[in-house]
Amino acid sequence: MLGEMFGDMSLWQAMLDRQRELFVEMEAGSRLGFVSREASGILPGKRSEGVRVVNEVPMMAWEIENGGMAARMERFAGISSTRVDVLLVADQEAMDTMLAELGGDMLKTIKRLIRRGNIMFFLFKNKAQLQDAGYEDFLESLGLAFLGACR
Amino acid sequence: MTRPGEAKLNHLFQPGKIGRFEVKNRIKYGACCVSNYNGRDGTITPRELARVRVIAGTGCGLITNQGAYPDPLGEGKSYFRQVAIHDDKFLPQFEMIARYIHDAGAMAMQQILHAGRYGGIDLGYCVQPSVVPQTLPHFRPPRELTKEQIKVVVKQHADAAARAIRAGFDGTEVTSFMGYLLANFNSRFTNQRTDEYGGSVENRGRFMRELIDAIKQATPDNPLSIRLNGAELMDRWGGNTQDESFELMQQAVDCGVDMISVTVGWQEAPESSFGRDVEPGYWNFLSEKAKKMFPNVLVAFGNRLPDPAMANACVKDGVFDYWEVCRPLLADPEMIHKAAEDRMEEVRPCIGSLNCLSRLFRDLPYTCTMNPMLGHEVEPEYHVTEATEKKRIMVIGAGPAGMEAAITARRRGHAVTVFDKADRIGGALGAYAANDLARPADLQSVIDYYGVMAKKLGVEVRLNTEANAKFMRSVLHEYDVCIVAAGARTDMAVFQYLEGADLLVDALEVAHGRFKPGKRVVMLGGGMIGLTISEFLAKAGHEVTVVEKEKRIGGDIMPTFKWRHTAWVDELGIQTVTLASLVKVTKEGATVKTPKGEQFIPCDSVIVSSPRKANHDLFHEFQWMVDELHGGGDATVPRGLDQAIQEGYRLGVRI
Repeated sequence: MLGEMFGDMSLWQAMLDRQRELFVEMEAGSRLGFVSREASGILPGKRSEGVRVVNEVPMMAWEIENGGMAARMERFAGISSTRVDVLLVADQEAMDTMLAELGGDMLKTIKRLIRRGNIMFFLFKNKAQLQDAGYEDFLESLGLAFLGACR
Repeated sequence: MTRPGEAKLNHLFQPGKIGRFEVKNRIKYGACCVSNYNGRDGTITPRELARVRVIAGTGCGLITNQGAYPDPLGEGKSYFRQVAIHDDKFLPQFEMIARYIHDAGAMAMQQILHAGRYGGIDLGYCVQPSVVPQTLPHFRPPRELTKEQIKVVVKQHADAAARAIRAGFDGTEVTSFMGYLLANFNSRFTNQRTDEYGGSVENRGRFMRELIDAIKQATPDNPLSIRLNGAELMDRWGGNTQDESFELMQQAVDCGVDMISVTVGWQEAPESSFGRDVEPGYWNFLSEKAKKMFPNVLVAFGNRLPDPAMANACVKDGVFDYWEVCRPLLADPEMIHKAAEDRMEEVRPCIGSLNCLSRLFRDLPYTCTMNPMLGHEVEPEYHVTEATEKKRIMVIGAGPAGMEAAITARRRGHAVTVFDKADRIGGALGAYAANDLARPADLQSVIDYYGVMAKKLGVEVRLNTEANAKFMRSVLHEYDVCIVAAGARTDMAVFQYLEGADLLVDALEVAHGRFKPGKRVVMLGGGMIGLTISEFLAKAGHEVTVVEKEKRIGGDIMPTFKWRHTAWVDELGIQTVTLASLVKVTKEGATVKTPKGEQFIPCDSVIVSSPRKANHDLFHEFQWMVDELHGGGDATVPRGLDQAIQEGYRLGVRI
């Protein structure tokens, strides 16, 4: 089933509703995608499938609608064919962790998993575009180096 | 004649040879930072030339000039004002740079930098082996290079190398550091190609081998250095393993490179490679491995290795042949000379704040927290010259701003006395250094440096002396100039009518260790000071909640270090409440107001780190008591260490 991979969508939606202040400045239509690394083919050293010719796999999309962030399941059709501003790619450990902690403070969980390298991310808009679309608060809440990093 | 430091660090100061070139010591100035001082079209400016004269004079045996992009479109251009080397029209300035370096007795090497994934800064795209989207929003969307384009890029590199040699450089360098085009081809993360340039390590290294071959053919008599990752730190995201990185080095060696410069990390790597939280010497094992694997090729290394004594031991122990150093020489261009003269205690230390790189990500010229002169070499107003009229200067405050002003003014011939109410110099910096989780020794080294220099230069320091109106009357007419650099203070007055205000504690009291908070702590203010103390307390076992009035914590923290603080907050379990203001305090806890309503936070101590207030009172007190009155650092506007040092210096060179 399309939705099973990310668990109960109503729990994700409830989390996004709880965090609604993070999204108030985001433009309608702003979209993030969430895919499993294994299912999407975005794998270490074998990512060409994910980049180019991926089979359709489940993607959890978060999209700004009616002033809030809505979660729903869609199909991921490869990086070049999927219209998202940010794509988060979770490995199996991250998927398992998120499912286990679903209903809790998921943004903190996601932030931790990004920091640990279990979730990688790709950006499809540049800094100015993301700022204009109101992403700064949200991406910073995930611990992403929004203004650049050289460590 | 051998100088005392040269005898002590005899391995570092021994001569070497690169190709047919004799090198006076084993120190390579690394092209670690693009300055962003140049024209938008890649032309070299007088500001850059003045800066390069300083670099040439650092005392390094080999000097690598900053990376120049090799293509006319600017696909390889990664920084806003990076120099270009794609046309002969740029030759005259490169000739001058080569001459400066040779005049200083050093070997001159020109780096060619095609930024690949991080390039195309003026374009709407960047070029890569494959279309792998960006993970940092600063960079441009990718386009895949065709095989024909790869051939063109290789030729552009070879032409650029030949041009550099024609300009008078002795050798060239190509760089993959830190995720540039060469690294993009080498890495599994960015190379998804299915043709002969992708797939196996052998295939991924093909671009590098073609690049080396082409440059070697174009410049057969001149050494070629290549900067390659010993560790990308991208392996969790599908990048190369360390074994693959060394396999690629082997390919470069087999192609006949003269030097391998081992580097660590990519700009987008999820972990630190040379920040202040990385212990000096941490990455040496990578260089040691390279040296063992390639004993017949010169190995250069310097990632997070700021100390000449450590570098000397590494050369002695065969960890590397050349110490590649840059950032410590941004902080103090005289460091090598001071090391040679055994005056290391006089070195202005690099504290690894990475201010230099923070600014590059904002398309600004690089500067240095510790070296206020950096980038202003071309401006006579910034040079320390003998004062026309020698004055008697009093400096109120022995923090970084006051001490910087004092030693700079003293170098110009003024008589300088520093007053501070504390029993030691350093001001608030000393207190915060003691609470720093990254490396307290870094911040403490700033204070130690000022102490040494004040003593050496003859700056009188009077401690345990509070400057107030009564004190000023007692020294009336003894001084011509007063510099108020008494720092900022926590503005406790804003809470004076709040219920429980008497229970509030100033963060500075905690930082100094004069107040021991209870087990459960609420910290008002999630800026640099509040977070530094909170992290220290949390690590010591306190339960800390940070209350911040803005939407996000860490608003005043340099971006290259902000991520570290936010990670510490998570790792240490520090709770944060944002968009919140204090309503009242009781012995049981603090009540704060948030957009969701009032929230009670049980705690034993409420510490105030924000707001901070400039110390303007002294200005009003002293206005009619001294001929010249100046202010600097946090005493005028509360900010950070770099602004304090910059302002102190500017006052020192101006008076």
